[in-house]
Amino acid sequence: MARVQLTDVTKRYEDVTAVEEMNLDIKDGEFITLVGPSGCGKSTTMEMIAGLTSPSDGTVMIGDRDVTTLPPKDRGISMVFQNIALFPHMDVYDNISFGLRLRDYEKAEIDRRVDDAAGIVQMEGMLDRMPDEMSGGQRQRIAIARAIVREPEVFLMDEPLANLDAKLRVHMRTELQRLHKELETTIIYVTHDQAEAMTMSDRIAVLNEGELQQFAAPLTCYNEPRNEFVAGFIGSPAMNFTNGDLTGSGFSSAHYDVTFPTEGVGISPGTPVTLGVRPEDVYPEETLDDAADPTELIDAEVDVLEPMGDEIFVYLMLAEDTESGMGGDVSGDDTLLMSVSPDSTLEEGDLINVALDRAKIHLFDDDTGEALVHGVARATGASADATGEEAE
Amino acid sequence: MNDDTTRPDGGVQTEPELKRGPFQRWINRSIDDPERAYRAMFYVATGFFLVTTLFPFYFLLVLAVTPEAAGLQLVPAAFDFGVFLDVFRQINFLRYMFNSLVLALTTTAIVLLLSSLAGYVFGRLEFPGRTPLMLLVLAISYFPPAAFFVPLYQLFTGNVIQGLVLYNTPGAMILPFSSLFMPLSIFILTTFYGQIPDGLEDAARVEGTTRLGALFRVIVPLSAPGVATAGVLTFIAVYNEFFFSQLMNNGQPENWAPIVGGLLQLQRAGQFQVTYGIMAAGSIIAVVPVAILVVVAQEKIVSGLTAGALKE
Repeated sequence: MARVQLTDVTKRYEDVTAVEEMNLDIKDGEFITLVGPSGCGKSTTMEMIAGLTSPSDGTVMIGDRDVTTLPPKDRGISMVFQNIALFPHMDVYDNISFGLRLRDYEKAEIDRRVDDAAGIVQMEGMLDRMPDEMSGGQRQRIAIARAIVREPEVFLMDEPLANLDAKLRVHMRTELQRLHKELETTIIYVTHDQAEAMTMSDRIAVLNEGELQQFAAPLTCYNEPRNEFVAGFIGSPAMNFTNGDLTGSGFSSAHYDVTFPTEGVGISPGTPVTLGVRPEDVYPEETLDDAADPTELIDAEVDVLEPMGDEIFVYLMLAEDTESGMGGDVSGDDTLLMSVSPDSTLEEGDLINVALDRAKIHLFDDDTGEALVHGVARATGASADATGEEAE
Repeated sequence: MNDDTTRPDGGVQTEPELKRGPFQRWINRSIDDPERAYRAMFYVATGFFLVTTLFPFYFLLVLAVTPEAAGLQLVPAAFDFGVFLDVFRQINFLRYMFNSLVLALTTTAIVLLLSSLAGYVFGRLEFPGRTPLMLLVLAISYFPPAAFFVPLYQLFTGNVIQGLVLYNTPGAMILPFSSLFMPLSIFILTTFYGQIPDGLEDAARVEGTTRLGALFRVIVPLSAPGVATAGVLTFIAVYNEFFFSQLMNNGQPENWAPIVGGLLQLQRAGQFQVTYGIMAAGSIIAVVPVAILVVVAQEKIVSGLTAGALKE
């Protein structure tokens, strides 16, 4: 168990910068997830923590030690790999005990620890199997057993579930959380799957293009994304974005307007902004009462329905807002995704009115992508009910 | 049965069958079923290669067992297997074989160790100049060994560095053997080591090995077919080598002369006659270790040379 600190960690290759001045302070016993799209630098960051890649700049601390220049074996870490990476020429016992044998533990101690670890991952009685005689899930458990048997200070997990089938993945997710509760070891987990990140971690670090975007609890990232990237990356299906302008009376786009007092937004009216709203914060007229603070109604046509069982995703085509006087050349913003309850009677082709929940609207600065405001108040000055709060 | 086509009166009894020899009938059937022709071609080709490769061995055997007094024939009229014992009686042939095996094994060990390191570097690391360097290493194996002989001979006989005399020692052969046969091993091992997934090496390093430890504990064992191939090929190449084997010693068994020296010694065994028989017997004995090795390692060599793919 140890605290892990990354200070200004940078990794430059000849022509690209994979990781740019990464600062992370991971608390002892915390389960944190590095998440981001492919090539965002999350695996490179993990490799630098592991010591498999050395940073061009910056320091890595594990516990009280500066481990920046130490080889992986001396860092007190263990790692679970995406391709599982069990040694194919060794049986399960030899795989699990590999690190212990290298460190010259007593035979009895090795046996005891291997039995314990196999017990934790529920693989007792499999110790003499070879890796190729086991299923993917079993192999991943053995890989986890190999990682925990040395009782490391930090676990690193590099997309350990990516090669498993969907059902097993969900199951192993729960197992990993149980394992974390049991061992109380610091876990650093890398994934590109935001659902995995949301469900398992104490905090998630969202990365994009080598830079840290936000490092916060999953629900904070979900409800108060720091910028447009985080807002779009976290949550499935993704947040709706509409390009428009900040006006004196609120937000105006080609398809709809939302009125709210603009004093608190922090930028002057007339600036281009992007409005973001999650599918579950769009309401059809019938269930408008569920919204904390519905906006003015928006004309829309039901384009496609996607019933998921517990909810229905409704793809809406937005009608042109003639009053705003803006041209029809805005094409990416013509749609809105709404999620409704499964007993909804909507049909494809229906013309309906929808509204957004003011309290759940996010505004992003078009120039910087930074979030300006999470949730806006009603225009009438009744700002007391505003559940939203300002960013920063 | 009696002849159907003619009767004593000269008339035709039945519709005459076409007169066909066995060859024509075979051709006719082959036209109906081309597979027959392909199979026949296969047997002909196989037979040809078997005869051309095995006949020299057969004749070597004939040469060995034909008594000196008897005339040389394709199928010998008399046999004398005692000649195989004479090989050991007349000279210290065992010592020559021992020398050959020691030279081959030592060279193989050195080559495998060094080419493992080189194979790791060329197969798993990215660095500027990797390809040109690899090509340079390979190019060395195409040089004629004779080109190295004179400078090496001068060096090993102590004419370059005073006091450094390797002539008549194993070093005089093992050093040139190692450098000549190493490039092939480096090439084979580079291919194999390059195929081992990075994750396995990373896992070994995280678990507690150094890079070198990961190479010998994980990468080499997983590349066993490749290592075996490189090892066997090196062993056979050294065992069969003639040039340096003959020139880097004076042919005496106590001076580490390998089998070549022994065979040449056998040539001088009969003082005034040509002793083909005993030389042939010596050659057959010399082939035995390699033959055994090839039979034992054949599967690994074949899988090593052709496949080499490794599942994760």
